[in-house]
Amino acid sequence: MFTHIILGAAQGSTLYIGDMLFYAILFIVLMALIAKFAWGPVNAMLKERADRISDDIDSAEKSRKEADELAKQRKEALDNSHEEATSIINNAKDSGAKERELIIGNAQTEAKSLKDKAKQDIEQERADALKSAQDDIASLSIEIASKVIKKELDENSQKQLIDSYIEGLGDSK
Amino acid sequence: MSGESISTFQFLGLTFNTTNLISGLAAALIVFGVVFAFSRNLKLKPTGKQNALEWVVDFTNGILRDSVDEKEEKNFGLYAFTLFLFIFISNQIGLFLQIAWNDVTYLRSPTADPIVTLTLSLITMMLAHYSGVAKFGFKQYFERTYLSPFKIWLPIGVFTEFIDFLTLGLRIYGVIFAGEMLLKMIGGIAFSGGVVNMIVAIPLALIWQGFSVFLGSIQAFVFVTLTSVYISHKVEDE
Repeated sequence: MFTHIILGAAQGSTLYIGDMLFYAILFIVLMALIAKFAWGPVNAMLKERADRISDDIDSAEKSRKEADELAKQRKEALDNSHEEATSIINNAKDSGAKERELIIGNAQTEAKSLKDKAKQDIEQERADALKSAQDDIASLSIEIASKVIKKELDENSQKQLIDSYIEGLGDSK
Repeated sequence: MSGESISTFQFLGLTFNTTNLISGLAAALIVFGVVFAFSRNLKLKPTGKQNALEWVVDFTNGILRDSVDEKEEKNFGLYAFTLFLFIFISNQIGLFLQIAWNDVTYLRSPTADPIVTLTLSLITMMLAHYSGVAKFGFKQYFERTYLSPFKIWLPIGVFTEFIDFLTLGLRIYGVIFAGEMLLKMIGGIAFSGGVVNMIVAIPLALIWQGFSVFLGSIQAFVFVTLTSVYISHKVEDE
């Protein structure tokens, strides 16, 4: 068949120029159809897949970073909370101690004042008792004295008085 | 082969070979049908047909990737894909299906005719040269292609380009034409004698068909590989 080309080139009649044209057009049309129905969609899909994969990798990287960040934050928060708890306990201890001091102080002063008052009362009571005893003794002395003075006037009466006294003594005995 | 006649007709002052028209159209239809069917229901997670199609796309892109850079790979990806499938199907079609009527074969491998392979070769060369001119401008393209490494190289440069065009087309024609011819001869042996001839010819035909499938695949691969090499000669900075 190659001879046809040689002969065709020589004769100019049997070289299938029409075939060449036909194949060129056929090939271009085939290429256009494949481009429209297969090449475009397939490549779009391949690109989409590549994009998706790269996105997935990126987002995985990103979420890993976020997780790291979050863990770090949590650790910090935990450390802070430890410190905070310690300070709260210390504050409570301090204020407790202060309160105790205050209460004890108050109690002591109150007790002191009560004691003082009781002492005072006792002193007063004693003074009052002494005073009334003095009064009683004075009045008894006066009474005795007056009785003695009254009976000194006569012998009889003096005797009588002594008797009465003795009687009185006997009675009282 | 010698006694075989060829069916031609004239249209608009051009000579057409009916066999080539039918065979080429059949090959193109098969290619488009397969590609069209395989590219339905594309999914992000590929399955079955889509995997096969993507493998072919990756395969032809891989051929290009060996000789041109990424940007050019995108430009010529579709061409390499179409070319590979068209030549592959064209090579195989005649191995299992040949339709002859009134001593005229109407359907066979289109690539068993040099006019077809040379047309494909011409398309490739034109694309390569056009790309070279488009990328570097005509003056630089001319210097790079024909006046390198020396100005006196011009005749050799022209000759090289012509030889590239011719060998690219004739290599595949030779292999496919010889394959089909041998297959026809084996077929002739099978039907020429008695049962013994048939028994001998059937395994022979099987072996030769298997080998031709292999050759046809290799030739399609070689054609696309050389296409990408010729394109890379024209568009790559060395």
